[in-house]
Amino acid sequence: MTSLLQVSNLSKSYKLNGFWFNRKSIPALEPLSFDIQAYKTLAIVGETASGKSTLAKLLVGAEKPTTGNIKLNGQMLQHGNFKQRCQHIRMIFQDSGTTLNPSLTIQQLLDEPLRLNTDLTELERNKLIQETLQKVGLLGEHMSFYPHMFSGGQKQRISLARAIILKPQVIILDEALAALDPSLRSQMINLLLDLQQQMGLAYILISHNLGIVRHFSDKMMVLCKGRVLEVGDTQQLLKNPQHKYTKKLIMNQHFKLPNN
Amino acid sequence: MNILDIRNLSIKLLTSTTPILAVDRVSLAMKEGEVRGLVGESGSGKSLLAQAIVGVLDDKWQVDADRFHWRGIDLMRLSVDERKKVISKDVAMIFQEPMACLDPTTTIGAQLEEAVDDEQLTGYFWQRKQQRKLAAANLLHKVGIKHHEVCTKSYPHQLTEALCQRVMIAMALAKRPILLIADEPTAAMESTNQNQIFRLLASLNQLKNMSILLISHDLENVTHWTNTITVMYSGQFVEAGTTQHIFNKPYHPYTRALVDSSPKANMQIPMKSRLMTLPGSIPILQHLPIGCRLGPRCPKAQKACVQAPKVKNYHGHQVSCHYSLKGSY
Repeated sequence: MTSLLQVSNLSKSYKLNGFWFNRKSIPALEPLSFDIQAYKTLAIVGETASGKSTLAKLLVGAEKPTTGNIKLNGQMLQHGNFKQRCQHIRMIFQDSGTTLNPSLTIQQLLDEPLRLNTDLTELERNKLIQETLQKVGLLGEHMSFYPHMFSGGQKQRISLARAIILKPQVIILDEALAALDPSLRSQMINLLLDLQQQMGLAYILISHNLGIVRHFSDKMMVLCKGRVLEVGDTQQLLKNPQHKYTKKLIMNQHFKLPNN
Repeated sequence: MNILDIRNLSIKLLTSTTPILAVDRVSLAMKEGEVRGLVGESGSGKSLLAQAIVGVLDDKWQVDADRFHWRGIDLMRLSVDERKKVISKDVAMIFQEPMACLDPTTTIGAQLEEAVDDEQLTGYFWQRKQQRKLAAANLLHKVGIKHHEVCTKSYPHQLTEALCQRVMIAMALAKRPILLIADEPTAAMESTNQNQIFRLLASLNQLKNMSILLISHDLENVTHWTNTITVMYSGQFVEAGTTQHIFNKPYHPYTRALVDSSPKANMQIPMKSRLMTLPGSIPILQHLPIGCRLGPRCPKAQKACVQAPKVKNYHGHQVSCHYSLKGSY
């Protein structure tokens, strides 16, 4: 089975502009490689400043990688070619309240990616928006609502709708579940898992809640200061962590797997 | 003896039309040296309750209670000034988002010195400034900041969030409080930082016998650090009891759902299976259901649930439900 997304040797360093000999570069992410298949989830775990968000930015194309390349279905993704990338890799952010434009209705919000990326007519677009809203558990009538009329959980569903409306193959969840209340969070996890089964999505989950990581992901990767410490099957890794840092993370959350 | 004893506290929001009952007859009792968790989703009125205890709610809110005692003193009978005197001496509060609560234009040292009480200082007026400085440094040492010189000179934006939260705790400790109310002290923090803060609070509780009311929206976060837990939903009392009871044998369907929906507590369920969860979301203040407010979302709701249930007490484990799950264990 070929992998859906293949990342090889990807790295990022930021340059500090100084005078001639004083120029420094700060490595935010050291070269790393991984690949994901459809229907699978990769979890990325690490503290602040471990390079998790940099990795997410590189994958969606918000930043230009210093070295390395990203292949989707065997096809190289060029930096700057957003038409190709937007269709297939989408991202959901942590705070859904601030990522939705308050002056647009939900219809206008969801219409935008369709207008920019597809050749559908207005009627087809409206139909697709309604279908997508129903898919994430909202109603078609919600189209004419503004973001402030929704609760936090519903807003997160709208950002999910915006992510899946182009029928992508990879969705990046950058702490998308952290700010939600527990009961809404489990609703959202159920919804994400259902969509994964229906649409064959691959998720990249960035999180520090190991409980969710255990439940949600197939593989996990531990990052620390831009370096990959461990990669492996989630169950195996959590049961038998090799690196000291991973052990510390697990201890910190009082996390215990049943011995069976 | 209970240091804080609240029975049937209601908080009303006075609007131009009808008053809205934001917190509906909640009871809370705290013993000396106890760490109690107050758990509820956002919008369940837990912060309101904390603000009512400290007495910082403004005129828009009306607080009624059958009993509201602080170490035997009836707070409802005191005037505003007397109450402020009593409460500010013994109760301190720390807030979520410490960065936003500290003054960005003043150094940490100056803010800490301001918090130090005059009564703790001795000697003549020219000695006081030095004493204040010393007291501030001592406070920083108490919360585990070793290099106080650097810290006192810096502004809030120069410190990390966990450090800021430590400074907030140091300020709260300046009055040597008996009760510390921590309103989501670790919201939006990394797990390692969260643990540092919780460990600091636990050690303060152990060493100084300080009672702590720990407010959180996530049940699984606080279970490790608390002795007893009170659960609230949409302004109503749900369940109270020891942490073991609440987590292992919850009597209320809502608490059951909270425990079941946490992936951390359910290690035995298979990966990627559906999590148990309640449908819908917490009702907004303008459209509160009558009776038990969980009614529309509750899997066990029946006809009787349109009347608010009375609180039942089973050996210190209180639950407010007509159809409690007690029989099912």
